[in-house]
Amino acid sequence: MNRTVRKFLRNPLNLIFLTILFLILIVAIFPGIFTRYTPYSMDYNAILEKPSLNHLFGTDQFGRDIFSRCVYGLQKSVVIAFSSILFASFIGTILGLIAGYYGGAWDLIIMRICDGFFAFPSLILALFIVALFGSTLLNLIIAIGVVYVPIFARTVRGATLSIRETLFVKASKVIGKSNTKIMFNDILLNLSSVLIVTFTTNLSTAFLTEASLGFLGLSVPPPEPTLGGLVGQGTAFLLSAPWITLFPGFVIAIIVLSLNILGDGLRDILDPKNK
Amino acid sequence: MSFGYLIRRIITSIPTILFVAFLVFIVMHLVPGDVVDMMLGTQNYLTQEQIQELYRQYGLDKPLIVQFGIWLKNLAALDFGTSLRTGKKVIDLIFDRFPVTLELSVLSMFFATIIGIPLGITAAIKRNSFLDGLVRVIGLIGLSSPSFWVGAILIVIFAGLFEGFNIFGYVPLTENPLKNLQVMFLPSLTLGLMLSAQIMRMTRSSMLDVLQQEYIKTAKAKGVSYSKVIGKHALKNALIPIITLFGIQLGYLLAGTIVIENMFALPGLGRLLLQAVNERDYPVIQFVVMFIAFLIVALNIIVDFIYTLVDPRVELR
Repeated sequence: MNRTVRKFLRNPLNLIFLTILFLILIVAIFPGIFTRYTPYSMDYNAILEKPSLNHLFGTDQFGRDIFSRCVYGLQKSVVIAFSSILFASFIGTILGLIAGYYGGAWDLIIMRICDGFFAFPSLILALFIVALFGSTLLNLIIAIGVVYVPIFARTVRGATLSIRETLFVKASKVIGKSNTKIMFNDILLNLSSVLIVTFTTNLSTAFLTEASLGFLGLSVPPPEPTLGGLVGQGTAFLLSAPWITLFPGFVIAIIVLSLNILGDGLRDILDPKNK
Repeated sequence: MSFGYLIRRIITSIPTILFVAFLVFIVMHLVPGDVVDMMLGTQNYLTQEQIQELYRQYGLDKPLIVQFGIWLKNLAALDFGTSLRTGKKVIDLIFDRFPVTLELSVLSMFFATIIGIPLGITAAIKRNSFLDGLVRVIGLIGLSSPSFWVGAILIVIFAGLFEGFNIFGYVPLTENPLKNLQVMFLPSLTLGLMLSAQIMRMTRSSMLDVLQQEYIKTAKAKGVSYSKVIGKHALKNALIPIITLFGIQLGYLLAGTIVIENMFALPGLGRLLLQAVNERDYPVIQFVVMFIAFLIVALNIIVDFIYTLVDPRVELR
């Protein structure tokens, strides 16, 4: 593993974007340190102000500081995207392991259900769930997470199918290890690189899905800021105050770009096909 | 390409459609409160008997499995019910709005193709050149940018550069084609750019694969002109993964239209869906979602069919 990490960091692109992502994460965890205003405080003497040293990203129609709203919105978006992929990887991995390891009827049922989910575009499925159950933090995490469960299930199933046939799994069976132990010790351990890559690449799309829901006004309701929500509210002032829209959008793009580049980098190193 | 294959594909997609219908049905029933509660809202002047009558009218007094049967029967008969808010038939609403989404999708695909494929090919031919690097960087940025952000940037640029350019104000194609195309230009360019990023990447890697094949070397050695090698021998074989990508992107495209239609105030399916969501118009929500899922299943069959046209080696059984 140590060698893999060193190999990963030797690529300057990976190092740069890992640093960017790390800095963004720090800002998201400690928003208070980096902001001068609260995301809710209105200032009617500073309505729709252009970006300046006072207000780095400008202000909105209520005089709220866009930079503060971005930072706090970032925190919400990171929590939602990360938790939903965590949720999806947990459920999806278990389903994929069962389908791949036991095969037969289990495989058939689980995979057909996944096919059904694939008939929905991710945003529409998430929108459907959020629309019906309301946009609380937990509902958002589940709604976005559900979309990614079939992706994890399918990936893990595929990998499990090949690992199942390896000698060490057969050896484990011979020495009398239980099926659960084989699945969650032997096979899962060998899935780690597949899981890391799937996690990173899907984290970026989950981030975009959350941002799109926010843009449509279906993420955490106002006055709570989310990055997508900021862009959505800003479009009404697009021609008079473009900074309300353009800065939060840029933050989304930079995060997703970093995740995509890291995902590509990880795949290059961890994918056995590229060795 | 056989007629039998088409029939078989349609039959095997029935379980998927049934499952989707089941999923939509179950999720709608998991919602706290039911259609009657939704209709009554907070102002409830009805007596208990009248409420019971409403339940009977909507079939909500029957067991769940019977209700599912009724839902399937209505789906099959294209009886999608009426909108709770406007009183219009849902099927009429869908057919009213669908042409806008269709036009947007077709134009976006057009932009995605004319931007993505030539750039992808050029990057593959001039591998590791500056241009190749540029294409890859642009591709990654395109893949990472939210569509609404790209749309916003395009609006700001176009509003600044071209005064009098119609960015908003949709009119149907049949009414005023010139204005319609002007209004559709930016939304389809936005979506097209988003899609072209993936098409560009796929074209590049697929072309690189093909260009290393022996028969390309043979063609070159035979003295076939360079443009013919690329256009006829290489591109045709590189197209298969690209078409697969088109198939996968259809879902992405339809989801993208929701965001873009709302951004550019286009009266398509996506806007209808969001409106219904905001007004809690349940019959509209469930049938639009159902319609989109159905569309994706159907389009995937069509994409599989196109394979055979491009590659005679693909046999559909």
